[in-house]
Amino acid sequence: MRRELRAEWTKARTAPGTAWLLSAVVVLSAAASAAVAATVSCTAGGCDQDVPRLGLAGIQAGQAAVAVLAVFAVTGEYGTGMIATTFAAMPRRGRVLAAKAAVLTGLTLAAGTVAVLASVLAARLILPGNGFTAAGGHPPPSLADGPTLGAAAGTVLYLALIALFSLGAATAVRDSATAAGVVCGVLYVLPLIPRMVADPGWRRLLWQATPANAGLAVQTTTHLDDLPLGPWEGLGVAAAWAAAALLGAWLLVRTRDVRA
Amino acid sequence: MRAAIEVIGLRKRYGRTVALDGMSFTVLPGRVTGFVGPNGAGKSTTMRVILGLDAADEGSALIGGRPYRSLRAPLCQVGALLDAAALQPSRTARNHLLWLAHSQGLGARRVDEVIEQVGLGAVARRRAGGFSLGMRQRLGIAAALLGDPPVLLLDEPVNGLDPEGVVWIRGLLRSLAAEGRAVLVSSHLMSEMQDMADHLVVAGRGRVVEDTSVADLIAAASDGRVTLRTTARTEAMEALARAGATVAVQDRDTLTVSGLEAGRIVALLGANDVPFSEVAAHRASLEEAYMELTRDAVEFRATTPRDGTATS
Repeated sequence: MRRELRAEWTKARTAPGTAWLLSAVVVLSAAASAAVAATVSCTAGGCDQDVPRLGLAGIQAGQAAVAVLAVFAVTGEYGTGMIATTFAAMPRRGRVLAAKAAVLTGLTLAAGTVAVLASVLAARLILPGNGFTAAGGHPPPSLADGPTLGAAAGTVLYLALIALFSLGAATAVRDSATAAGVVCGVLYVLPLIPRMVADPGWRRLLWQATPANAGLAVQTTTHLDDLPLGPWEGLGVAAAWAAAALLGAWLLVRTRDVRA
Repeated sequence: MRAAIEVIGLRKRYGRTVALDGMSFTVLPGRVTGFVGPNGAGKSTTMRVILGLDAADEGSALIGGRPYRSLRAPLCQVGALLDAAALQPSRTARNHLLWLAHSQGLGARRVDEVIEQVGLGAVARRRAGGFSLGMRQRLGIAAALLGDPPVLLLDEPVNGLDPEGVVWIRGLLRSLAAEGRAVLVSSHLMSEMQDMADHLVVAGRGRVVEDTSVADLIAAASDGRVTLRTTARTEAMEALARAGATVAVQDRDTLTVSGLEAGRIVALLGANDVPFSEVAAHRASLEEAYMELTRDAVEFRATTPRDGTATS
């Protein structure tokens, strides 16, 4: 496994896209978080906002870059045919998949941590100007606060799970466009479906099953009883999606002929 | 002598297309084995099965007695060039070899050695996407040589090389075989095998049509035929045909005669006052020998519109 890890690390490190996409994770997250923070205001009349969640809202944008990074880690090889070289050099394909997953997880955790820190920092700088002050009873997010720290850490883990799900899905479908479509659908279209369902029972169930809804529940720090799922249970749903995608990928990649 | 590669009764279908239909042969160390046959004969599929990329429906392929996918550092056992275009264009040549080296537990020093060996030293840190096909072919060969393997397997390595490159690869493969390595080289052009291969495995329609040494194949194709050079082609053909020979036109003033020995031909031409400048035992080219062999195995064949006879 050491050789597979080392080879996949060298690949990731020497692909020019990696650095760009990791930067994109940080920039997109921080910029979107800043934009959200700039548009909310805490007026004297009412200020019922989940402040830590506001500060981390930009992750919804940053996760797109995580997904693209994961998809291209695989489809970049299938698209060029280099996957044949990879599997000729490392015939134990399950290990190659595991090594790719490990490298991707490491990179995503690193970029995700920076993205979360940058988002929180942006929120801390912008929110006080919109009325979120400690004096007013609505302090801007602080990582010294236990629930906020939990939300921040959970968000980093959520990004890693999205990366793993995307990696598994991309390995299963092999084609860049198809993989990007599947992953974007799961991240951005699937979350809308519960809102279109009238029946509350179904709506609740669909919400619970959607990785982007349930997984981001980990950012919630207030009104936890209103959530269809607890924050960490929600992260468990995202983990189940990632595990299912990786399992499917593993079953397919082991037996399938290596064709681009 | 232990076979370096054993291909045993491979069968493989893609949907309704039969790609391999009982392909069997062995590759021995110390010589260059040419793997030739028309497009669609199953050469590339066989190589993919040997490398564990595609799974055969039946049969097996062994490297030194073991299936490829059980090898620990496979590139140190088998070096392969399948498709030179199959690399990520944004990575530099050196970095492409570097991840491959790391996958085998090799270091950067070996990478620099093979880059120099294939003559890409000056462009090692340039993106492989900007390489010409010939340069990519050299990079692919560098990858094949990376693990210093006792077995080499190259699919159409001459494709896209300039004449200098062709001479280079011919010399390289010959010297690798002389070092005792087993070298399997595929091509759809028999002429590429001239002066390169010692042994030939000729494939057609997913199986082996002929498994022979180059010397034997040429001797068989030349068997009993005589080349005749004459300015009076028509008269010569008539005279020889009357005596029961089969005569084929080779070019404007050259005929190939079978069914009569050289002495008898000279006598006949003399008796009929047919001038000629040369009578010699025919030595078939590898190309000719190959055409003879694969006549029935060619899948796509052009027909000349005028007389409808088959050529290829």
